[in-house]
Amino acid sequence: MTAAGVLVTGLGAVSSLGSTVDALWQAALAGRRGIADLRLFPTHSHRTSLAAEVTTEAAAAARRGLGRAERFACTAAHAATADLDPSALRTARAGVFFGSSTGALFEGERFFAELLQQRESTLRPIAAHQNDGPGTAVARALGVRGPVVTFSTACTSANVAIAAALDALRSGEIDVAIAGGADELCETTYAGFNSLRAVDPQATRPFRRSRAGLSMGEGAGVVLLETLAHAQARGARGLCELVGAGRSCDAHHVSAPEPNGAGAAAAIRVALHEAGLDAAAVTFVNAHGTGTPHNDDAESKAMQAVFGARAASLPLTSTKSLVGHLLGAAGGIEAVLTTLSIVHRLLPPTAGEEPIDAALGLDVVTGAPRQLPAHNVGLSTNLAFGGNNAVILLRSHSA
Amino acid sequence: MKGRDVVITGVGCLGAYGIGLPALARALAVGLPCSTPIDRSAGYHRRHAATQVAACAGLDLSPWLSPQAARRMSDLSQFAVACARMAIADAGLSDVRSDRTAVAVATAFGPGGFTEQLARQILEKGGKAASPFLFTDCVANAAAGQIGIDLGARGANLTICQREAGPLLALAQGADEIARGRADVCVAGAVDEIKPLVHALLDRFRALARQDGDGERPRPFDARRGGMLAGEGATMLVLEAEGNARARGARILARVGPTVRAFDATASRAGFGHDATALAATLSARLAAELAEVDTVVSTAAGTRAGDALEAAILWATMPQGPRVLAPKAVHGEYGGGTLATAMLALAGSEFAFPPACDQPDATLGIRLAAGHLRANRVLLTALAAGGAAAWTLLDQP
Repeated sequence: MTAAGVLVTGLGAVSSLGSTVDALWQAALAGRRGIADLRLFPTHSHRTSLAAEVTTEAAAAARRGLGRAERFACTAAHAATADLDPSALRTARAGVFFGSSTGALFEGERFFAELLQQRESTLRPIAAHQNDGPGTAVARALGVRGPVVTFSTACTSANVAIAAALDALRSGEIDVAIAGGADELCETTYAGFNSLRAVDPQATRPFRRSRAGLSMGEGAGVVLLETLAHAQARGARGLCELVGAGRSCDAHHVSAPEPNGAGAAAAIRVALHEAGLDAAAVTFVNAHGTGTPHNDDAESKAMQAVFGARAASLPLTSTKSLVGHLLGAAGGIEAVLTTLSIVHRLLPPTAGEEPIDAALGLDVVTGAPRQLPAHNVGLSTNLAFGGNNAVILLRSHSA
Repeated sequence: MKGRDVVITGVGCLGAYGIGLPALARALAVGLPCSTPIDRSAGYHRRHAATQVAACAGLDLSPWLSPQAARRMSDLSQFAVACARMAIADAGLSDVRSDRTAVAVATAFGPGGFTEQLARQILEKGGKAASPFLFTDCVANAAAGQIGIDLGARGANLTICQREAGPLLALAQGADEIARGRADVCVAGAVDEIKPLVHALLDRFRALARQDGDGERPRPFDARRGGMLAGEGATMLVLEAEGNARARGARILARVGPTVRAFDATASRAGFGHDATALAATLSARLAAELAEVDTVVSTAAGTRAGDALEAAILWATMPQGPRVLAPKAVHGEYGGGTLATAMLALAGSEFAFPPACDQPDATLGIRLAAGHLRANRVLLTALAAGGAAAWTLLDQP
């Protein structure tokens, strides 16, 4: 590893499986789903009724006055930076790179409903509505003075943010970055995905023959990234290395993936190239795996295009089967889970009982966690509206 | 990141001033705000709310976008795609279908009109009434995605939402894609639409200029300033590696210098901060030598009390030589990337009128706006955002 190396040194996660990284990991290893009846808003007027909702008050109670996504973001960011001297963040050498697809749209909807009835009470909810709300809230809470950038590329937002953080660290602009994403459930996205018939009435079944759509989720996933020099200087333990990222656009359709997965494959190849790795180095995949028929099909073709025959024996999982689809935060929580897979050498299973779709030609991990080798390169992929693709590569770190 | 030198070879812009740089130049030469009354029929506005908006109503985009294509898009996407096509044509490029063509777009509010319509459907008729058409083009990255589809741009496709700092952050991301050799062409810029709901909400936060006894005008750096003019529109720039641009004989409009990015943690969620000292220190530390040669500032000042004060303090602290200062948001309003297009005019040489609404400069700020014909050698673009984000970018004569 060169001096330009970038380490993951901290993790934070809020999801339907809990508001701590440990709660998330234990549930993931057990294959326990956090998908249940949605309580945040009535579902009688929607086509479906399930979601992966954050119900732990731990995430909500501490910071009243913030929108849900802001609370998720701050809770995860505080956890990720818990072992870092706060003064290391209160400098222009620290940055926040965040993804969010809707900001605090749930609060925005409540405000709009009141506005339509001529009875709105406070502006506070709408202040959190903008997409930069979660990332900016993190920067404000931690006193960051360096670059603060919010990416809103739908379901790739967090991976795009992590990629931008990697660039900023490698360029020498900053030493420390808080990167990831946060999103919250709201009626607009819930109804919107339902209008596309993209939501499974049951809990999502990625890569299964019977797959019928995604399960909406909410939460935050945050990684603390440091240059190797900064981490070494403070004696921090590197959990893994962030070695590459790749982004591409299908330029095909506003909401459907390019059916052959060409765009996703291109993003993976870019990441491998930038990491200086051959495809053979990748030991497992945390897939986008939304559970929609088109996504899983296109993603499997991307895997075959990049990995060839090895795609059939490359361990792959969809953690969206556990925590749902966190949209702009998906890449964040999947980066956390990919890091944990590297640290513990275990790949959590894709939840569900139904048969895997053999036509996809993938080695989908089911039932129990899969033991991984001593040294790993994990690929985490995200695909999104707008034909957006973004992937990251994480590698075992031995220091 | 140093990498390859990055240049600007094409510009596409539109706003309340019209379509293209010549239209913007004419508006800046007059100096009056391009404002018209906002539609208040939806009942979102309070009685004493701001009444003016810099809107794009009536612009004929048909040279850039067929009616058939336009029907499939929000106003936001239409503005973005039209300007992207304009910029590509201006750059003398015909076919940029490639995985080496990237897109980097900033938007403060995204497709607010479609989002509002969709939310209304859901709130009034239930979730099952949601339109899939509205939903797919109401995501923030719809405009960038539509550019990607329209141009066949298969490289990185980025959308940044960082309020008023977005345009410079997008320009920086786009330039970085070129500098690092990931892309050979990048369409980078900003786009925003201002619908009545967004306008009314900005007014509730007291962000907009209201009647002050002498009209309802944005007054950057003026003693009477009380808010901004919300403006919609788009500016897209074509970025290329200088070597590639010269090799194909392209007309080079500007050289893209470094961008400094910072954050003011004293800002509230909806307001500006006050830590000019820290922001100025970051800017100076990164660009000390380069700032001494800045002759023109295209300022973020939009007429807000706190934002303009913060801007003035940073300018004084970092550039004692006192460069010329332009505040084009007095004309085209806030949002839509108008400052990017204004910077291109300043580098090309253009006429700038002293905005009549700014004829009582705030002595405590010490900024007097430039006027007359000017041609800049080095421009510093500034961007301070509500919420705390900040960015500065240098543009030079090629």
